[in-house]
Amino acid sequence: MTKYSTVLGTEGERSPASQKASFFAVVKKDKKAMFGLITLSIFTFFAIFAPWIAPHDPTAMDFEMMIAPSLEFPLGTDDLGRDLLSRIIHGTQISLLVGVSTVAIALFFGVAMGVAAGYFGGWVDMIIMRYIDLQWAFPNFIIAVYLVAVFGAGLLNVIVAISLAFLDDFARIARSMVLTIKEEQYISAARVSGASDFRIMWRHILPNAVAPIIVQATVSVSYAILGEASLSFLGLGVESDTPTWGLILADARSFISRAWWIGIFPGVAIMLTVLSINFLGDGLRDHFDVREVKDV
Amino acid sequence: MSIKTLDGLTLIERAELERELASAYDFDSKDPLFGLSKHDMSGPHMSRRSILRLMAAAGTLTATNMIPMAAGFNDSEAVSGGTLTCGWAGVGQIVTLDPAQINQVVQFQIMSNVLSGLMHINPDLVGEGDLAESWEIDSSGTDYLFTLRSGVTFHNGDKFDADDVLFTYNRSKDSTKSIHSRVLANVNDVEKVNDLQVRFKLDKPQASFLTKTLERSSGRAMTIVCRGALESMGESQYGLTPVGTGPFKIIEHQLGQGVEMDKFADYYDPERPKLDKVIIKPISDAEPLAAAIESGDIQLIGGNPIAAELVDRFVANPDLVVDEVAGPGFQSIWINPWHEHMKVSDFNKPVSELMKEKGFMVRLAFAKAMDRDRYLKQAQFGRGTPAHGTINPAMGFYFDETLAETSNQKFDVTEAQRLMAAAGYPGGEGFPTLKLTTTPSGRREATVVADIFKRNLGVKIQIEAKEWSVNVEEFDTMKWDLRRSGSGGDFDPDDGIVDWMQTESKFNGRNRDKSIYPFGYFSDKEADELIAEQSTEADLEKRRALVRKVDKITSDKVASIFLFHPANILVHHISVNFPKQSRIPGLVDLDRVTIS
Amino acid sequence: MSRFLVRRIFGALIVMFAVATLVFIMLRLVPGDPIAAMLYDAGDPDAVDEIRTKLGLDRPMYVQYGKWLWNAVQGDFGRSIYGSRVEVSRLLMEALPRTLSLASLSFIIAMVIAVPAGLIAATRRNSRADYAVTFVAFLGLSMPDFWLAILLIIAFAANLHWLPAIGYVPLAKGFWPWLSHLILPALAVGTAFSAIVARMIRSSMLEVLNTEYMRVARSKGLSERTLIMTHALPNALIPVVTVIGIAFALLMSGTVVVENVFAIKGLGRLLIQGILNRDYPVVQGTILVVSAIFVFSNLLVDVLYSIIDPRIRLQS
Repeated sequence: MTKYSTVLGTEGERSPASQKASFFAVVKKDKKAMFGLITLSIFTFFAIFAPWIAPHDPTAMDFEMMIAPSLEFPLGTDDLGRDLLSRIIHGTQISLLVGVSTVAIALFFGVAMGVAAGYFGGWVDMIIMRYIDLQWAFPNFIIAVYLVAVFGAGLLNVIVAISLAFLDDFARIARSMVLTIKEEQYISAARVSGASDFRIMWRHILPNAVAPIIVQATVSVSYAILGEASLSFLGLGVESDTPTWGLILADARSFISRAWWIGIFPGVAIMLTVLSINFLGDGLRDHFDVREVKDV
Repeated sequence: MSIKTLDGLTLIERAELERELASAYDFDSKDPLFGLSKHDMSGPHMSRRSILRLMAAAGTLTATNMIPMAAGFNDSEAVSGGTLTCGWAGVGQIVTLDPAQINQVVQFQIMSNVLSGLMHINPDLVGEGDLAESWEIDSSGTDYLFTLRSGVTFHNGDKFDADDVLFTYNRSKDSTKSIHSRVLANVNDVEKVNDLQVRFKLDKPQASFLTKTLERSSGRAMTIVCRGALESMGESQYGLTPVGTGPFKIIEHQLGQGVEMDKFADYYDPERPKLDKVIIKPISDAEPLAAAIESGDIQLIGGNPIAAELVDRFVANPDLVVDEVAGPGFQSIWINPWHEHMKVSDFNKPVSELMKEKGFMVRLAFAKAMDRDRYLKQAQFGRGTPAHGTINPAMGFYFDETLAETSNQKFDVTEAQRLMAAAGYPGGEGFPTLKLTTTPSGRREATVVADIFKRNLGVKIQIEAKEWSVNVEEFDTMKWDLRRSGSGGDFDPDDGIVDWMQTESKFNGRNRDKSIYPFGYFSDKEADELIAEQSTEADLEKRRALVRKVDKITSDKVASIFLFHPANILVHHISVNFPKQSRIPGLVDLDRVTIS
Repeated sequence: MSRFLVRRIFGALIVMFAVATLVFIMLRLVPGDPIAAMLYDAGDPDAVDEIRTKLGLDRPMYVQYGKWLWNAVQGDFGRSIYGSRVEVSRLLMEALPRTLSLASLSFIIAMVIAVPAGLIAATRRNSRADYAVTFVAFLGLSMPDFWLAILLIIAFAANLHWLPAIGYVPLAKGFWPWLSHLILPALAVGTAFSAIVARMIRSSMLEVLNTEYMRVARSKGLSERTLIMTHALPNALIPVVTVIGIAFALLMSGTVVVENVFAIKGLGRLLIQGILNRDYPVVQGTILVVSAIFVFSNLLVDVLYSIIDPRIRLQS
């Protein structure tokens, strides 16, 4: 979870390609994106129906610990004799929750800030940009570490911290998009016809700025998931009865060489999810970004 | 694989041991303490016979107590020289080695190799002279005259004499300079008799004076510091690279990276130290620690207790020696007596009376529901001893093995469930979710605790892992429900019972709002008095009786749910020879260690 | 140009000041009493107040702030409140070379992997090699760095015994000891970064290869190798270079987690330990130094970029 995302997302400065192409058209063309979508759907399914899918209670301890993968425990049991598969399935809930909710929050507030700054300009722009510059001085992960340290650990605090860390990315993109689009003729036309500022921003500017924001949002979800895992690893993460992937992995670190499955499978789950999101994001970027060269 | 526990003795060791035991029983085994006088307890060190008698009296004259001496015979054959690289487990940096600032075992383990005290305990936790060559106690038990070793120098060449003892005393007594000033509370005065003699005058007799107040490692108040070095380098630098009279001198200390020490050629015992150089690296995570010793980066692990899950892995490694002995300390689950559903506002009544109170029934139900064997197996991978009181097996002489059977806290699920039901929570119904506070590294074992309570009582417990600083603040102000913690370095009964079990104990709700909470987690007049009495009792057998009585009261009245006494595990490479003479539980004294 | 420079430097200083103020205020809001924790084992309630007075923690907040800021400007960040109360500036000076060593080596490793990989992928577009590079790059981006770190330790330190598992040895003690301790952590930090750079080089190269200029060069019959090495690559690297400027600072943040796995007492470990211990002065000092690195490397990139591409200057 760093500023890499934004570095890659600077294509947003360009005017977007067709906005109307349907999401599924993108996925259909691109095998990577298709893979990403399918994997993500499976994980989302896990998250929603975890209690029915998981073969065991994720918190039930067995007196025997660290049982190797078997028929009863397909991914083995952890250092306290809990079924790893069930824990990973339940862990999907928090990982996806953190990933999606942080980005949703950051997107909402970040885009609002960015659009306001770009549209109104003047002192509004100055204040918001100074704040963004301030945050820009830190990599997102450092910000998240610091905020969690101040707020304390816990699900809500982790979500708030990671959302805040992403705020500037969205604000920056939204602002630069607005600055580009603002000069277009149809905006002037709308203004002449007496549309309110809010209406212009909502109906005319935002829909045209959607593409780079979607790309940024997709990539951010993957960084949020990695960020949550890293925070858990440093002892600053989510604390909950429900297992999270980061926590399972953090707990597993002492046991990896004794029971490889404890350290491997949760890591694979994180990697697979992040990979799928990246594939999907890449597909979307390929589709939206005119800078990518399609053929030589 | 070579684990050296009791049964793991080699044939030679066993033969040696039997010979020793045979020649040791030259006293009346029915009354081993007969004739043991105060004189026997004075001296440069206690005589071997006195120790054996004490042990025999305690019924703990076992092979463990004998091994240290037996192994000493090999000492002269050992090779000198070489560099030993050690990893210090569970710690990221050694923030200080200044005895006045030290507050962790990981620190005084190192300090004990660099600085000296007047006394130092031996593997039986009996005090022996360090810089004190001999001592005499007057009949009142309040006047100690110490004769110091002559010709001792500090690492910087300064000579050591009585003035250094006085200087250290004055520095440690000053609470702005030392965090251990209270250790000296019972010392009325220290006077210099001549360059090599000092006299300590106590307010009242104190049984733990030699083994606690004057102990160089865990005592810290009278660990001798160097005046000249403190003045020339300043307090801050002195804390990183202290100058002392110990077997090793510090060459370099980079915070967070490690400490480098060289052999001190002018150490008072020309036979020690054996090693030329010692390097100590702090390693906080379990996996890197394991990798470091398995790959040979380090050859010995000191510091905090090694993560329980690693021990079996080390045992299985033929290149490593895993040496397990009973460790000093006790670990508990503390119960807040001011919590609405576990309330006991007055412990000063007979247990039978307390048993009629709902709050106490719940406390006792929790204590009786604690399946210590299950806990040890799951949380500690089978290492450690179930605890029912403060006094631990490492203290041999004071430890009461029968407490496990006689204590009110004895494991009994049926009775625990009956008590919960009687208190109005049958099957845990209607009982609120409790928070169990622990540190982040204690989360795993706290999960086991929560699981056992859930399993046996049907109550739900939520684990709150909080950083030490937050955790402590809550504990001190009594803002908690249940808390997992305990004491790590108890070399004398005073460490456990004086520090934890008295109304005025330093951990007992120190910063609580006294208008709301008249006491902290526990307060019992009888226990208070007995603890005060045992502190000043110089007759060891009488002291033991008092200590055991206190232990029983605190156990029966559930001052805390006593959980376990940790095992002390030393792991090193087979090339390292760690003599039994230096195998003091909780410490890592390297002065006799050799490497081949 | 000079007006642009002055404005940017002034802006950077304001950001630093704001960071300093925020850091100071927020850390004071954190629960947990460091003095109590420090004296916990010692158990002298009177000493707590005395030491608090001695450290100036009993003074009004604005007095503490003013004093702290004035000292910080002079490079004095106070002392750690734990143990021997070592000067924070000394801790920072000890930590800085460790983090810089790690970040530099990560950077070198990342570039050594990324440049050839990106080139191959771009020049053999849609070949198996291209797909392989792309796929591995995606994997590298998707792996949590601490997980990779642990896997590396298990493989190369614990099982193969090729490299030390933990710690740091200063360069002064020899090149190999220094390098050998840094290879595994640098791999853990550098992997994600190399994935990003490889992908950037690939797309940047594709863009350059597709330009009119390259078509002309190609039509002149230059060999493909000369074409790529002397014409395409330098052009393709321009956008990459500017990103790399920022990314070096990013690498330093990647070191936070990894330093904690490998027990390297760099800035990241100093920061995390400071936070966990509530060691105010250490956290403040570290945050200031870390953000100074970010702010001024951003500044440097802006200036460099404005030299390469003057339009930027006009825009801002």
